[in-house]
Amino acid sequence: MNSLWTVMAFTLRNKLRSKAYIWTTVTIALLLMVGANLPYILERLNAGGSNEPKPVGYIEGAYPEIVQGLEAFFARQENPAIRLVAIPSGGSPQADEAALRQAVEDEMVKGYLTFADRPETGFPEVVFHSSSLTNFSLADSLRVGLESVKAEMVFRNVQLSEAERALLAAPVAVHTLLVSSDGEGGRTAADQAVVMALTYALIILLFMAVTITGQLVATEITAEKSSRVMEILITSVKPLTQMFGKILGTFFAGIIQIVVLVAVFVISLLMPHNRGALDALGIRLDAVEPQLLAYAIFFYLAGYFLYATLFAAIGSIVSRTEELGQATTPVMILSMVGFYIAIFSLQNPKSPLVVIGSYFPFFTPFLMFERIGLADPQAWEIALSIGILLASILLFGWLAAKIYRVGVLMYGKRPSIKELVKAMKAYKV
Amino acid sequence: MKPLVIEQVVKQYGEKIAVNSLSFEVSEGEIYGLLGANGAGKTTTMRMILGLIMPDRGEIRYFGKSYGSEQLRMMGYLPEERGLYPKLKVSDQLIYLGQLRGMSRAEADRSLREWLGRFQVEDYYNRRVEELSKGNQQKIQFIAAVIHRPKILILDEAFSGLDPVNVELLKSAVKELRDQGISMVFSTHRMEHVEELCRNITILDRSRTMLQGSLRDIKRKFPRERVVLETEGEVHGLESLPDIRSVRRTETGYEIFIAREDAAQNILRHAMAQAPVRRFELMEPTLNEIFIKTVGERNE
Repeated sequence: MNSLWTVMAFTLRNKLRSKAYIWTTVTIALLLMVGANLPYILERLNAGGSNEPKPVGYIEGAYPEIVQGLEAFFARQENPAIRLVAIPSGGSPQADEAALRQAVEDEMVKGYLTFADRPETGFPEVVFHSSSLTNFSLADSLRVGLESVKAEMVFRNVQLSEAERALLAAPVAVHTLLVSSDGEGGRTAADQAVVMALTYALIILLFMAVTITGQLVATEITAEKSSRVMEILITSVKPLTQMFGKILGTFFAGIIQIVVLVAVFVISLLMPHNRGALDALGIRLDAVEPQLLAYAIFFYLAGYFLYATLFAAIGSIVSRTEELGQATTPVMILSMVGFYIAIFSLQNPKSPLVVIGSYFPFFTPFLMFERIGLADPQAWEIALSIGILLASILLFGWLAAKIYRVGVLMYGKRPSIKELVKAMKAYKV
Repeated sequence: MKPLVIEQVVKQYGEKIAVNSLSFEVSEGEIYGLLGANGAGKTTTMRMILGLIMPDRGEIRYFGKSYGSEQLRMMGYLPEERGLYPKLKVSDQLIYLGQLRGMSRAEADRSLREWLGRFQVEDYYNRRVEELSKGNQQKIQFIAAVIHRPKILILDEAFSGLDPVNVELLKSAVKELRDQGISMVFSTHRMEHVEELCRNITILDRSRTMLQGSLRDIKRKFPRERVVLETEGEVHGLESLPDIRSVRRTETGYEIFIAREDAAQNILRHAMAQAPVRRFELMEPTLNEIFIKTVGERNE
């Protein structure tokens, strides 16, 4: 126990003091700080212009009924998105078109409307010529406005009460609530979006943490082997103690980094000026259940230890750091497959691939976490996958320890599995 | 009770036998020479003593006990392939190694400073290993093996790659440790170091024990076959004397290899007849010669 502590403290101290570690932490922290403040920064940059109605041009005198209806519609709104601007007619359709284009070029208007008769419906076809393809919200506002105008035109000749009119004018709202197996109230769509974003972010974080820290473990072990300091280490302390000391030390270095980064991010988000920006986007951080975070921490721990033991075993059989990349590829691919299944099925967390994959221990941290976050699996399903995961950690920890025990003594060419088994027998481990 | 007893130890890797029923004992304050060509089984033997590999048969006892974590701490190891953390400060890593072998931080620090002082390199305490010259790295490596005051020390090629001044420095440190009662297993290809330091030796060749015993007895078993002759003038006709194998001219005289010891007297008489003799010596076989005879001949 004592030497485990010594190895762990030594690993951690060297990690924390290394320039690479400090600089990555600081750089990512700065990026996160900027990222967290981005909505606020964007809002400030847009301030003044953003809430003004955007000018949209039309040829004076064209379809007056519709244009007046639209103007009336936007005039009724509190924050109209669009302000209509009349462009004097040039006399001919070609001249009109040229005048409208000129208006866009002069930045008088953001776009313009043209109309074409559609006798079969009695309502003309409206084309919104936009200065930019991304003016979706303008097109949306126009559509809503035009539909309202069309309805007005129809109902003008029909006797309707105020209540009936209000009913017709009211937009239809569809709210999605996630059905929860425990029967309690589900999440709203906005909350679901927050949870999905969080799940997404946590899966990425999990993947990065597992692979980066895992690689670190492997690199350190190979470095110790290639610098031959290993020969002294294994005669000073039991290989098993040494391996787990290394894994734990690197783990704490990783945890400290993540805690710092998450703290920076959360503190930035909770700054008073950011509150408003988040609320404006409908993001409520308290929509996130604490269990989900608890699961995130659990799967991070479990995933890390499962992969770290594999990385340690690989690190121990490679003699030179240059060969390490190649040797860790299978494990990297394993983690990547789990990660990508999780990312690509984020919209479809109940797909059989995710359900089956969530019991495969190397995918469990990604896929079971995704299911817990988004698909509300049964309690026994969670328990089963966690059971398999924990059993595999023990199994692979034991196996890795055996490989490590012989791996650190084998120099030269990377041994094949057969050679490893032979060496294990010869060394009696 | 002997600090280290190796008894009928056998180690096999698959079909290949690495060590074949090897036995020897190391007394307190003794430097035991373990010699052999590359691949003779020295490293395997040392790894078994260090507990990294378990012997297939036979037994290794440390002060009468078999291997355990206590034994791990009383042993020091200077591996043939040197290695320390290149980027770390000398103090950081040596104190770490001391702690791993059960010292407290303060003890390890004190021991490190003592050793740095002994090698007159106190200012390396805060230097990174990669900044040091090779010879100085070797000193640090040596300290790494002895910082925890081991009772049994395994030295694999202790003085390789050192200049003569540093060899003397480390050799005197080794002798001092010997005089403090530390038992050592010493492996090297430099036979003159063995002659200077070891009382008993084992010569291994391809897993088998070829020669074993005290250096003096071994030397006695080998005939004296070399005559060193130095005269004032030239001596002619040495080659034609009976039982002469070969004659080699050196800077100062002649080196004559003989087939039988009696031939030496003949040489002396022959030389005295021609010129005044300044030096005549019937040389004891060197360990180098013995080694080559035992191991080398079959390799040719």
